Amino acid sequence: MSRLVLRNLTKKFDGMAAVDHINLEVEEGEFVTLLGPSGCGKTTTLRTIAGFYIPDEGEVYFNDRLMNTVPPNKRNTAMCFQSYALFPHMNVWDNIAFGLKMRKVPEAEQKKRVQRALEMLSLTGFEKRKPGQLSGGQQQRVALARAIVTEPDILLFDEPLSNLDAKLRVQVRVEIREMQKRLGITSIYVTHDQDEALAISDRIVVMNQGHIEQVGDPHTIYLYPKTAFVAGFIGLANIFTGRVVGRSGDILEIEAPFGRVRMAASNSTVRAGDTVRFSFRPEDMILYREGMPNRLQGTILYAIFMGDSTDLFVDVKGQRLRARAGNAVKFNDGDSVEFSIEETAFRLLE
Amino acid sequence: MQAKKESTAIYYLMILPGVGFIILFLGSSIFLTIAQSFGWFSVTGRSQFTLVNWKTLWERETLDSLVFSLKMGILSSIGTLIFAFPVALFLRKGGAGKRFLSSLIKIPLFIPALVAAFLILNLISYHGVVNEVLLALHIIKEPLRMLNDPFGWGVVAIQIWKNLPFVLLIVSASLASIRDDIIDAARNLGAGAFSILFRIYIPLAMPGILVSMILMFIKAFGDFPITSVAGPNYPPSIALRMRNTATLFQEWDKAAVMGVIIIGTTLVMTWLYSRLAQLVEGEKP
Repeated sequence: MSRLVLRNLTKKFDGMAAVDHINLEVEEGEFVTLLGPSGCGKTTTLRTIAGFYIPDEGEVYFNDRLMNTVPPNKRNTAMCFQSYALFPHMNVWDNIAFGLKMRKVPEAEQKKRVQRALEMLSLTGFEKRKPGQLSGGQQQRVALARAIVTEPDILLFDEPLSNLDAKLRVQVRVEIREMQKRLGITSIYVTHDQDEALAISDRIVVMNQGHIEQVGDPHTIYLYPKTAFVAGFIGLANIFTGRVVGRSGDILEIEAPFGRVRMAASNSTVRAGDTVRFSFRPEDMILYREGMPNRLQGTILYAIFMGDSTDLFVDVKGQRLRARAGNAVKFNDGDSVEFSIEETAFRLLE
Repeated sequence: MQAKKESTAIYYLMILPGVGFIILFLGSSIFLTIAQSFGWFSVTGRSQFTLVNWKTLWERETLDSLVFSLKMGILSSIGTLIFAFPVALFLRKGGAGKRFLSSLIKIPLFIPALVAAFLILNLISYHGVVNEVLLALHIIKEPLRMLNDPFGWGVVAIQIWKNLPFVLLIVSASLASIRDDIIDAARNLGAGAFSILFRIYIPLAMPGILVSMILMFIKAFGDFPITSVAGPNYPPSIALRMRNTATLFQEWDKAAVMGVIIIGTTLVMTWLYSRLAQLVEGEKP
């Protein structure tokens, strides 16, 4: 197990920075997810940690050891690839034992560790099969077994579930998390799937255009997004710009495009006259009842029944807002509705 | 039912030109060669079963030619692979000069074997470029006999030069099919350059390597033009002996035996290839 430190890490391709001066510290045994859209630099960061890329600037430390120029085969990391990258000419046993052979682990110890990994990932009985004779889920488990059997300092995951179907994806991500918790290996996980990131991580690093937008635990990232990008990328969000027309204590009164609203802003220094960006989640728009704050009247543009809930697109003073309601009430396109938003549901964005 | 019959008929009609050509010209000529070796359908008009032609198999000259051709086939295929594999690896990885090298190395592919033999002849002849340079540099005191040398190294050298691009194309295609993430995975798991070469590149490129080796063997084993220009005075290659037996000595049935030997050896080598390929790919559970 290692503590990972990235200091001012920069990696350029053809003069363009794919990763631009990022700083990150990952504690021993922590499960951190790099989350962002394609081209945000998350895979480049992961491959730089693995040693496939040498940083153009900055440093990579495993504990206190500078790793910048240490080749991949000399770093004790293990990576699970998006395509699994199993060796097609080797059977399951030889695939899993490969890293141990490279590390010249004694034969008896190899056997013990491979056997243990096979049992841990429910692969017993598949030892003699070639990767081509396994299902996607089984191949992913072999890739996991191959990674953990070497007892790496850091486990690296490069979108390992993206080739699996939706149901299997949920199942394998639970297996990955359980296994990581049991073994306590420091893990860096790359994905563009926000649900996966929220479900699996101790902390999430949201990346955009080579920068880190926000780092935090899933709860914080979802409920307290700092930037419009994070608010928009993680889950659904209504993001607007408004003008502060008054402040009384921690409550701001804001003139927004869809009407005047009051929001709580305890840690903010904004004053009357300032322009602010803010967000709120669709599920924070609740059907209005007497006495509730921030009453909004609108017309339903589209109502999409999702089974457990209904997604609503609502026109409020010419602005399109997204709301989410339960499944008890049936909504129709064109219905007039009244919503309320709690003062504490709003988030001021940077 | 009627439609199915019609589509089957169309299917056979479509494959007829290709398959028919093979059956007519290849199948019938192989059949005739085998038949003639046993005395049937002789060019002299006689047709009677006999094993007398097969006595040539135990004649010293035939055996020498067979051994020489086997030697040329094996050494040329191994030699070409040794030269081609590192170039194919370089071309896979890319880097400066990749396109130039790739074009340069294909040149021999467009030169006929006989012309190639004469080109190389200028290089390795008694007073060729190589000997003159070595003499000028005082590395040797008198010219080396590289052409028509008794062992056949000159033939091997020309075979390698001539067939390098051919083998390179096959091996390169094999190496190109190996995904980069597989190499990355091996590096990530602790494999150094040698381990990656011997445990990943070579086993995964093995089908291509074996195909190129067997094709190269067949070409060099049955070679006629290169051996006739650069080969030793004795023994001639089995193909050269076959030509001489037929056209110089007018022993067509005996030449047919040598033809059967060439075909038989090729079939044995192909069988060996398929066995090796099976071993490499492993048994299916």
